[in-house]
Amino acid sequence: MRVRLLAVAATFAALIALVAVYVVYFLESGPPAVAAVINRDGSASLTLQVVGSYGNHPFPDWVSYLVKDPSGKWRHTTIWKLPAHELVHVTVYQFDSQTGLRNNFLAQVRGTVGGVATYTDVGNTGKGSGLPPYNNTSLSVIPPSEPAHTFTVPDLDLSVPLVGISDSTSNVCAVAPCPMHFAHTTISFSFRTPGAGTYRWQCFVPCAFAFLYGFGGPMQTIGYMDGLLEVA
Amino acid sequence: MESAALPVNRSKGAAPSFLGQLLGFNVIWAVAFAIVGYIVAHWLGGKIGANIAAEQNPGGTDQDDIAILLGLFGSIIGWMLGLGFFNYPLKRMLGRAPSLHEGVDSSTWRYFRLCTDHKVVAMQYLVATLFFFFVAGLNAMFIRTELTSSNATLFPAGNYLTLVGLHGTMMLTMMSAGVIGPLGNWLVPIMIGSRRMAFPRIESLTMWLTVLAGFVLLSATLLGGFPTGWTGYAPLADQARAGIDSYLVSFLLIGIALVLVGINILVTVVTLRAPGMTWNRLPIFVWAMVTTSILAVLAAPVLAAALYMVMSDRSIESTFFISSSGGSPLLWDELFWFFGHPEVYILALPGFGIVLEILPVFARKPLWGYRMAVAGMFGVALMSFMVWQHHLFMSGINANLRPFYMFTTELISIPTGLIFLNGFGTLWKAKIRFTVPMLFCLAFFFNFLIGGLSGVFLSDVTSDVVTHGSFFVMAHFHYTIMGGLVFALMGGIYYWLPKMTGYTINQALGKLHFWTMFIFFNLTFFPLFAAGMLGMPRRVSSYNASLHTLNVFVSIMAFCLGLSMLIFLGNLVWSLVLKRERASDNPWHSKSLEWQIPTPVPSYNFEQIPTITGDPYGYGLPEAPVVDFGRRGAVAAGEAGA
Repeated sequence: MRVRLLAVAATFAALIALVAVYVVYFLESGPPAVAAVINRDGSASLTLQVVGSYGNHPFPDWVSYLVKDPSGKWRHTTIWKLPAHELVHVTVYQFDSQTGLRNNFLAQVRGTVGGVATYTDVGNTGKGSGLPPYNNTSLSVIPPSEPAHTFTVPDLDLSVPLVGISDSTSNVCAVAPCPMHFAHTTISFSFRTPGAGTYRWQCFVPCAFAFLYGFGGPMQTIGYMDGLLEVA
Repeated sequence: MESAALPVNRSKGAAPSFLGQLLGFNVIWAVAFAIVGYIVAHWLGGKIGANIAAEQNPGGTDQDDIAILLGLFGSIIGWMLGLGFFNYPLKRMLGRAPSLHEGVDSSTWRYFRLCTDHKVVAMQYLVATLFFFFVAGLNAMFIRTELTSSNATLFPAGNYLTLVGLHGTMMLTMMSAGVIGPLGNWLVPIMIGSRRMAFPRIESLTMWLTVLAGFVLLSATLLGGFPTGWTGYAPLADQARAGIDSYLVSFLLIGIALVLVGINILVTVVTLRAPGMTWNRLPIFVWAMVTTSILAVLAAPVLAAALYMVMSDRSIESTFFISSSGGSPLLWDELFWFFGHPEVYILALPGFGIVLEILPVFARKPLWGYRMAVAGMFGVALMSFMVWQHHLFMSGINANLRPFYMFTTELISIPTGLIFLNGFGTLWKAKIRFTVPMLFCLAFFFNFLIGGLSGVFLSDVTSDVVTHGSFFVMAHFHYTIMGGLVFALMGGIYYWLPKMTGYTINQALGKLHFWTMFIFFNLTFFPLFAAGMLGMPRRVSSYNASLHTLNVFVSIMAFCLGLSMLIFLGNLVWSLVLKRERASDNPWHSKSLEWQIPTPVPSYNFEQIPTITGDPYGYGLPEAPVVDFGRRGAVAAGEAGA
């Protein structure tokens, strides 16, 4: 009886340990949440970069977002903490090339302060559209052939198309985080956060290379082109 | 027919030494060889896959699916090699004499390797399916924990879908084997008076494939999970990360196991019935196994083919389900649900069999409408192939097809209703013994009735438009599968486990288990009908804040339901491992053949093949003998406590 009791206890302990491993290493595994920089006036600054290929383990050829944490270090996560009912100033350094939109509606800037975003080309050797480079240009809509990605939060009706670099550019970054000497566009906009809650954001350009219809892979994986705004 | 005399070599052999057992073919070597098989085949697949550039593949997933799929198939070969499944064909090729008696001895090791004793295989099945049942149940607890908040807060949102998929797939696949595996393999040969299954080695193979399928499915957690739920819809399955490969291979293994176990049971029942075991005397549980086997044999190959097609889409550039290349995602829906709806009855029919087998014992009355019950089960089996498109009402099928499938779906309630008539007819004016198995059987009718009635709303096209994809559907199928099959399975376990193990199960704990499970099952799932009607969607971790209170209540009830399952587990451990009180030969005073033989049942079942002389439900007919054991003499109905 005593031996059997010990055997049952040991089995029970082993099962508890297995459950703990399952919870810690699978269920709770995921990218960390990184807080935006809080400014003196209570507003927040969120600095992001979008890269055509992450360049690191486990999916080096997946397109991805990165975020700069308050210490100034680039972090690979798409879960960002923002203050509630505050203005958020977003700066996106966009290093990926243009893919164009399937739905021209997404060429509009929506939900930002003033309904506009500011665009700047840096180190670009020419725009595919033949138009002159952007130079701190405020726009409410861009040519639908130019976006590489979007930053879209459906719950907030917020959507900003992110202009891609020209296909003819040779100075392309391949490994994140990308230094600023590589060709990129800079997109700035501000929006106001709602009340506390978790809000899903997503890139709405099917940009997952080699995945069926451009969806799948990074498009459906939090940490790459899909993420959460944790507003508190 | 089998030889009536007991073959000399069928007695239980002496156990080899511990070292001999350890070094022989067993599950330890199976695990080791499976790992080696995976590594070797993955390496080979990597070499092959390197020649296929991702951009050339319209279904490409930017992952080395060839290597992963080949790796998983390599692990299957290694697993079978380690268990010794290739020994027999190799020996036969070398001209050695065949043996029906492999791995059967008195040692505990027989439970950890290939064994041709159907009772050992059944116990292996029972432990394995209960293990995976608890793993899937644990995932259900995690799902309910996540849903205590209207936003995804506990787990990263990307993991929630995998959690739901693991729960659903594991429950559906393991519960497919949950009755036909343990109870079917243990009971069918004994109930028909046979010493074995027709194909004992295949019987063992199905068990070990089922175990492997469970672990392969769990391996999805190491490969990024899968976003499709248990239905694996295309093109999501084509787009998903490598975790879906685990889902595909696991489901394929279950499909193969279902076909093999179905063939085995059908051949066993047709060819190995004892003298006097006419079709009219076949126990109703055996009929349930026969109809379930027919469904498994006819439906599972379609699933296996569809799974193979997704695998080839993901790995070798086929485009079966990719519309831009001439394929059709709707094809997957058709193929999957052609299996998927019969699968529902692969789960339900064994429940019917268990309940109708147990009711007469505790009602002390003959089974009312035996032939009607058999006809009902065949009716359900036949019609289950004619209703699958009701799952596609909202998937863009030809609108003209909808009324036909609405009609056939509503029609299937008629043969199902016959089962209710049999049950209620048997209970009519009966002196019911409210034992634990009987309580579970009575609860089966209550739960299944709610499941069935709510199913009418889903079969109706207009109401399905509203309820489709909501928690209403989820509540409905939990009432039919958990409220039906799982309650029946629990009844069957409490009823037959004393005979299977030789030890009694604590009845007081059993009743505590029943009442907590029954109450909290209903308190968990009934409110979900309301949640569904209020717009609670399936498969998403975020929902409208107005549904928060309802969800918190449901989650608390679900945790209590989980506790009731722990009472069940505690009862098994207490009764079978710690206390170990010997069970008598026939504690329920049943007239079925399995209760007329000694407890524990000898490895050969019967000293001599018995002659069946009466039907197993002749309660109230004290003079009717049930079986003639030859030298041991006939067991009269009076002795069985009619």
